Amino acid sequence: MRAAPTPDPSIDVAGLVIDEPHRFRVDGRVHTDAHLFSLEMQRIWERSWLYVGHESEIRQPGDYRTTVLGRQPIILSRGEDGSIRAMFNRCMHRGAVVCRAERGHANHFRCPYHNWVYRNDGTLVGMAQKSGYGDSFDTSEMNLVAVPRLEVYRGLIFACLDPEVIPLRDRLGPTAWYIDQWADRSPVGRIAVTEGVHRYQYPGNWKFQLENGVDGYHGNYVHESFVKILNRSGDRKQQEVVRTRNRVGSNNCAKGLPHGDGLLEREDGMLGTFDYASLDDYRQALVETHGQDRLADILTQRNILIFPNVYLFESHIRVMRPISPTSTLVDTIPTWIEGIDDALNTRRLREHERFFGPSSFGATDDIEIFVLNQTGVQAEAARWLDFSRGLARERVGKHGERIGHSTDETPQRAMYREWQRRMLVGEEMAS
Amino acid sequence: MTAGAAASGPLSREQAEALLFEEAARLDDRDLHGWLELFTDDAIYWLPMGIEDPDREPSLILDDRSRMEERVFRLLDTAAHAQTPPSRTQHDITNVRVVNVELDRAQVTCHLVVHEVRIGDPSQVGMAQARSLPGRCEYELRRGGDGRWRIARKVVRLLTRELPQYNLTFIV
Ligand code: FES
Ligand SMILES: [Fe+2]
Repeated sequence: MRAAPTPDPSIDVAGLVIDEPHRFRVDGRVHTDAHLFSLEMQRIWERSWLYVGHESEIRQPGDYRTTVLGRQPIILSRGEDGSIRAMFNRCMHRGAVVCRAERGHANHFRCPYHNWVYRNDGTLVGMAQKSGYGDSFDTSEMNLVAVPRLEVYRGLIFACLDPEVIPLRDRLGPTAWYIDQWADRSPVGRIAVTEGVHRYQYPGNWKFQLENGVDGYHGNYVHESFVKILNRSGDRKQQEVVRTRNRVGSNNCAKGLPHGDGLLEREDGMLGTFDYASLDDYRQALVETHGQDRLADILTQRNILIFPNVYLFESHIRVMRPISPTSTLVDTIPTWIEGIDDALNTRRLREHERFFGPSSFGATDDIEIFVLNQTGVQAEAARWLDFSRGLARERVGKHGERIGHSTDETPQRAMYREWQRRMLVGEEMAS
Repeated sequence: MTAGAAASGPLSREQAEALLFEEAARLDDRDLHGWLELFTDDAIYWLPMGIEDPDREPSLILDDRSRMEERVFRLLDTAAHAQTPPSRTQHDITNVRVVNVELDRAQVTCHLVVHEVRIGDPSQVGMAQARSLPGRCEYELRRGGDGRWRIARKVVRLLTRELPQYNLTFIV
C-alpha cells in the first residue's frame, strides 16, 4: 500500500459535497486525504454513538471483552451487580493495558507492569509496595476511567466519547423501529452473536464499506458470480433473482434516514439463500409472540446502516473500524437467533459462510471493488464521485426519511449529508 | 507411484506424500477438476477459526463435496471479481507424518505454506503483492473399492485463522 497523501489543511469541507436538486456529488479526496481522516476521527468518531459489542458476549457477571471505541482501547465488562460497564483499557499508573485477552472471565484486572490491581468495575483495589506513595496520595482518582457514555438498545451496546452526547434513543430516532424488526426475527425477541468473528482488512477507505452495504444497484453485476452459483445449484434461477431484485412498484426500496442511517429493504431473501423465513413453524412462532400484523414488517429483508460504524444484516452484525484513510478493518459477527431450532441457526451459519465469509462467494467480490475504488480515487484530477441516482424519483416519508427505488443512491446521499454536517459541526443531533 | 494409484498394504509415508504433492501440483496448475477427483464423494474441506464447533460457530470455510464443487465452479466458470486477475499460488508441503493407519484408512498431517500473488498493474492497490499463508493440515485418507487412496477430509488450520483475512478466495 502506498503512503497516505500529505495532509492538506486547506481542503474546504463545505465544498466536498455538492447537493443540488438533480445532482449529488462527493469529492474523491474524502477517501484519500489524511487531514480529512483525522478530522473524521475527531468530529465524527469521537463524538458519535458507536456500536462496541453485544450483550450476549458478556452474559455472566465477571465476563469481559476488550475492543476499541473509535481508536481507543476499552474493556466491556459485566459487574457482580449484572450491569454492563465500559472503561478504558489503560492503567492509571503509566498507561499499560491492564487486560490483554480479547475475552474472558475475571474478577480483577492486574496490570502486568507494576502490579496494580483493579476490580472488574474499574476500582483500584491494590498497588504493589503501596507505602512508597505516602499517606497523602489520593487513590480515589486512580480507578480505571469509565467511558463517558454507554447505553444498550435491544442487546446492542453503544458507547460514546462525548459526555454531552444526546441519549442513544434520541439519536436512533426512527432507526429504532427497524432495529426492533431485526431483533424480533427472534420469536423471543433476542438475537445473540457467535463467539467467532469473520474479520477482514482491506486496503481501502472505511466509507466504501458504508456506501456498499445499502447499495442495491451493484448486486446483479458485482455478484454475478454468486447468481450463477445459485442458478447452477438450482437454489434460484438467475432471471428470477434479477427480476425480483429490480421489481418496480413493490415494497423493495432504499431509504436514507436522519443522522446518516440507511436502509436497503427487500421483500425476499438475499439472492435466494436459505430462506428459513418461509418455514411454517418459524412463522407460527413469530405470530404467537409478535402478532400476525407484524409478520410482514419483521420478515422484510433489511440491511440497516447505523452511521458511522455498524450494519445489521439478516445473518450478522458488521462493524467497521477505520485504521487509516486507506485501511479498514471489518468484523462480521454472525447472529444466533434465540428461540428457534439450533439446526436452523446452523444452516444460517453455513449460508453466511457461503456469501459473507472471508472465503465466500459474495462479500469477497464487494471487497475487491473497494480496492478498485481506492485505486481509482487516486486520480484526484477527476475529482467527483456521483450519487445522483434516483434524485428525480425519491419521495419523503413521515419521519423525514427519503425513500427511493431499491437501486437508488438515496441512503448514500443521507450518509454523506450527515458526514458533511458532522465534519462541519461535530455533534450528534436529535431527530 | 502415481497419486491415488491402486496399491495394497497400509499407506506408507511415501504414498501419503505422493498424494499430497499431487494435490498441491493440481492446485498450482489450476487443474481444479483434477483437484476434486482426489477427494471422496462425501469429502469435507474445512478451515476452522478459533472455536472448532461448526454447529454453533463460524468457520472460514466448511465445504462439503457440493460446496467444493461450487467453489471450483466459481473459480473456473464465473467472473469472480476477487479472482480477476486470478491468484497464482504455490503450495509448499513439509513435515508429512502418517499418524494413524489402518488397512483402508489413514490419518496424515503436514505443514503447508501457500504463497500467493495476483499479477496485474503493480501500481494498483492490491496487485502484485506476494503473500504467504502458513498452516497445519490434517488429512483423512480412504482407500476406495478401486484400490485408490482419496481424501475424505482436509482440515487446514491457518496460523492466522482468527485474524483478519484479505482475499482468501483461492484454494489453500
Ligand atoms: S503501568 Fe500499570 S502498574 Fe505501572
Ligand atoms: Fe455486495
